[in-house]
Amino acid sequence: MNILTEEAAIEGKNIIKDFQLGDTKTRVLKNISLKVIQGEFVSIMGQSGSGKSTLLYILGGLDVPTSGSVFMNGMDISKLDDEKMSRIRRQNIGFVFQFYNLIPNLNVAENIMLPLLLDGKKMRDYKKPLKDILEVVGLSDKQGHTPRELSGGQQQRVAIARALIGNPEILFADEPTGNLDSHTGAEIMSLLQRINKERGQTIIMVTHSPEAAKSSNRVITVSDGLLQ
Amino acid sequence: MKIILKYILTNVKERKARTFVMLLSILLSAMLLFVSFSIGVSYESAQRKMARGMAGSATVSVQSVEGGIYADDIPALPDIQTKAGIVEGTSLYHENGYYETVDLLAADMEALNQINKPRLIGDGEVTAFSGNQIILPDRFTSKYGIEKGDTVTLQINGTPVDFEVAEIAAYDTVFLRHTRGATALLPLETIKEVLGWEDGYSEFLIEPAPNSTTGNLISELKNALDNGRYRVSEVVNEAQIAADARQKSMPFFLISFFSLTMSIFIIYSSYKVITLDRLPIIGTFRSIGATEKTVTRILLLESLFYGCTGGVIGIPVGVIVLKGILQGMGKSLSQGIEIPVVISVPGVILSFAVAVIVSLCSAWLPVRRASRLPIKDIVLGRVEEKHIPRPLIVGIGIVLFIVSALLPHFASGTMLYLAGGFSLLGLIAATILVIPVFTNIASAGLERFYGAVAGNEGRIAARNMKDNKNVTQNITLLFISISAIIAIRVVGNFVTTYISDVFHGAELQGFADGHMKPEFVEQVKEMDGAEKVLPLYVFKNNVQGNSEPVSRLEGTDNLEWYNSMFALHYTDSSMSEQAALAFASGERAVIINEDCMKRGGFSIGDTITLSNGTSGNFYVVAGSFKSRATDAEAIIPSMYAVSDFGASDYGLLAYTAADPDAIMVQIRALFGETSNWSRTVEEFNNDALATVGAFLQPMHSMTCFILLLAAVGVINNLLINYIQKRRTIAMYKSIGLSNRQNRKMTLIEGFSSGLIGAVIAIVVSYMEIQTIFLVAGPKISMTPELDIWTFLVAGTLGIIVTLLGSIVPIFKSRKMKPVEEIKFE
Repeated sequence: MNILTEEAAIEGKNIIKDFQLGDTKTRVLKNISLKVIQGEFVSIMGQSGSGKSTLLYILGGLDVPTSGSVFMNGMDISKLDDEKMSRIRRQNIGFVFQFYNLIPNLNVAENIMLPLLLDGKKMRDYKKPLKDILEVVGLSDKQGHTPRELSGGQQQRVAIARALIGNPEILFADEPTGNLDSHTGAEIMSLLQRINKERGQTIIMVTHSPEAAKSSNRVITVSDGLLQ
Repeated sequence: MKIILKYILTNVKERKARTFVMLLSILLSAMLLFVSFSIGVSYESAQRKMARGMAGSATVSVQSVEGGIYADDIPALPDIQTKAGIVEGTSLYHENGYYETVDLLAADMEALNQINKPRLIGDGEVTAFSGNQIILPDRFTSKYGIEKGDTVTLQINGTPVDFEVAEIAAYDTVFLRHTRGATALLPLETIKEVLGWEDGYSEFLIEPAPNSTTGNLISELKNALDNGRYRVSEVVNEAQIAADARQKSMPFFLISFFSLTMSIFIIYSSYKVITLDRLPIIGTFRSIGATEKTVTRILLLESLFYGCTGGVIGIPVGVIVLKGILQGMGKSLSQGIEIPVVISVPGVILSFAVAVIVSLCSAWLPVRRASRLPIKDIVLGRVEEKHIPRPLIVGIGIVLFIVSALLPHFASGTMLYLAGGFSLLGLIAATILVIPVFTNIASAGLERFYGAVAGNEGRIAARNMKDNKNVTQNITLLFISISAIIAIRVVGNFVTTYISDVFHGAELQGFADGHMKPEFVEQVKEMDGAEKVLPLYVFKNNVQGNSEPVSRLEGTDNLEWYNSMFALHYTDSSMSEQAALAFASGERAVIINEDCMKRGGFSIGDTITLSNGTSGNFYVVAGSFKSRATDAEAIIPSMYAVSDFGASDYGLLAYTAADPDAIMVQIRALFGETSNWSRTVEEFNNDALATVGAFLQPMHSMTCFILLLAAVGVINNLLINYIQKRRTIAMYKSIGLSNRQNRKMTLIEGFSSGLIGAVIAIVVSYMEIQTIFLVAGPKISMTPELDIWTFLVAGTLGIIVTLLGSIVPIFKSRKMKPVEEIKFE
């Protein structure tokens, strides 16, 4: 069940991003505007250095644009202070990275629960959602394991579960299959596709892989800092 | 080679903070080691100077066995540089009932100026020194408010003689002494007149020629002089001086031991991070054909750079610190004596060598491990640390800990020192092995506690400490630092007390040394405020136990009071009661000090003969003891001191009183003009502290350097921790950790590391102190008093340092861009 409404999950307006490297200023994003609809699964593609990951991080609030705005629920999140932006990251956004980024000395359940714990929630109150999400990602039997005891694919599933535990409005994924073999990569993409379809989860994903991009509803291509 | 050197220098330049910390730790270690070595040698030199006192550069003494000695008696040997004839006498200075011994000295001024020229206050020369004139040291004149031109009266052979103070001299050269009292310089003719000396000189002090040695000169003089008529000897006992200096420099070597341990740990942990950082470069080197050996050499060359630079800078800094310390020490002695800064070549070489070796060895392990990694794994970034099963490590740690704690209890003699060294190192090594498990257990407990008081951030911070190598590394360094500070402080305070407070633990508050009739003692007992009054019969050097001379035998009618007044430590605690029963039963019993027991080959229960040459009686050895408060080698019931040895007057009286000073004033009044040496314990300690206490002041300065090294190490570790944790912090930030939450978690983690480190340090340092005193135990007659505050303050300091060290990581992570940290592996 893929629920698409016309309401924007997130909207970027006139995003410009400059990077200063020594004395040289490089414009990575050149006035990009885009809108992602709730329930949409969007893939951002482009060559290395095209600015696709920078765009994703700006939309996800991990980076700020040099100029321009990012609207989420009518609020410009690019102007928020650290405290407010951190709360949005805990409550409204989920992130999945290429290299999983799990905390190595916490077990699977603790890693997944981290955003809720940082939000002041009690672990005991979220046993059911934890069990559900573990089932969704197929790791019900691994919750006591530490990341180093899991395969790459399993670690990425933990990262997806962590991103989803707080029911975020948008899931951002930066090359989620980039560090996996093709078979495991396909499994992860199938999982993301299922989550998008069954839960109506808005997903914005950066990928190099045309195969992975096929799982999405829309493909945006960034080239030389501009949308094609 | 040029490229490699350039690569190394670029590394050093690029990592400024880390280079600075590594260099600083090696520099401080080299400096501390150098100062420890040199201060021992400087002490020795100062001790030699004090022990020589009047002798100055003269090293040989010639005396006549009977009567005086004349200048013509000394043969004109080419190995003699200068010979100074001196006449010595003794006198008493009396003021307000207080007696002080003033040794009188006169010499040929010309010769004296060559071997040991008196240094006058105001840098003048001794001229027109004749008649009843006297030169006194400023230490003495300032004590009694005497000025140049004043008249002082000295009791010489019971006759008061007035002298005009011609000059006041610095407490140095002929006036310097290592015993209580003062030395006064008189004109040669005057001293002969007041002492009635008509027989040349009492002694000749001889300075060897520059190309001669003391030993040679002594044997030449012995050959030339009639052995039966003259006594030729060395002025000071060099072996005794060296032994005294060793005792005083013990805390400094302890400081060196801990500073080296800390340096090894700082450099080792820094290198672990450096090699991890350099893995891609190591991979590149290896992939283009560099062998394991080449990579190891390149990385070790960098540590060699740190070692050499640290040593080269550390030693000159050490010279400056040493000068500062010794100058301060001279000033803190009541009138300021010059203590020479002795820079020993072996000290310099050893300190430099240790700086280089420690640096190389600490780096070698991680470097070797890194250079042996498979090239493919390095290039692909698949390097993981080898996992050693924890039960094995913990098992080894626990066994090592137990062995280290127990070993000194089972060793004796020379083996005891080896066991002590092994124990100190073993306790540290074992603790390092056990810390990860201890931290995990503590983090589990803290997780619940912080969960309740600090919410989820506290819970996560505590949880994060589990299985966290950075945290255990921090705790390890903190534990080494805190335990070092505690051990050095306790041992240092102990040495100060040991050297300057011989009555430590003894109950007596004052004593009178002189001839005292029973009526005298009764009058003291009647004095207002007198509490315990213990009179003793004293026999010096005229009693033998079997055939062994007993240097001092005392008789008492109250052994119980004697025990507490002079803090007797019985060899076995049950002996105290056994000896009391034997003394009370009326049998002839004796208790003997441990040295005398050993010398005479006595055992408890033996019956020995105590005799004074004319009569002898059998005594049962009822106990053995050691005590620093009394020189008595044997103690018997007073009734037998009277019946067997004919004692009538008491020789020593010890007392306690509500106001010891008031009693002392009355005792001095009772003695009147009779010669005596009577002091309250406070007066005695003040005198002792004035001469020896200042020697130990530098140790406290050195503790500050240890603190600095500890702080540098902890901050270095926290920085390393931050470098390694950057990615983790970025991960947290990406899922919503705010700066406020990060600050809270970092502070909780810092506090907890500090707390765990402090607790471990307190326990381990307590055990280290036990080991140190177990090893030193046979040579000392007292046990250390452990002040809980020393432990608590050191622990709190450790926590404060970790909290302060958390500030930089907090600020750095505020500015962190999570994307940059987490985007790449």
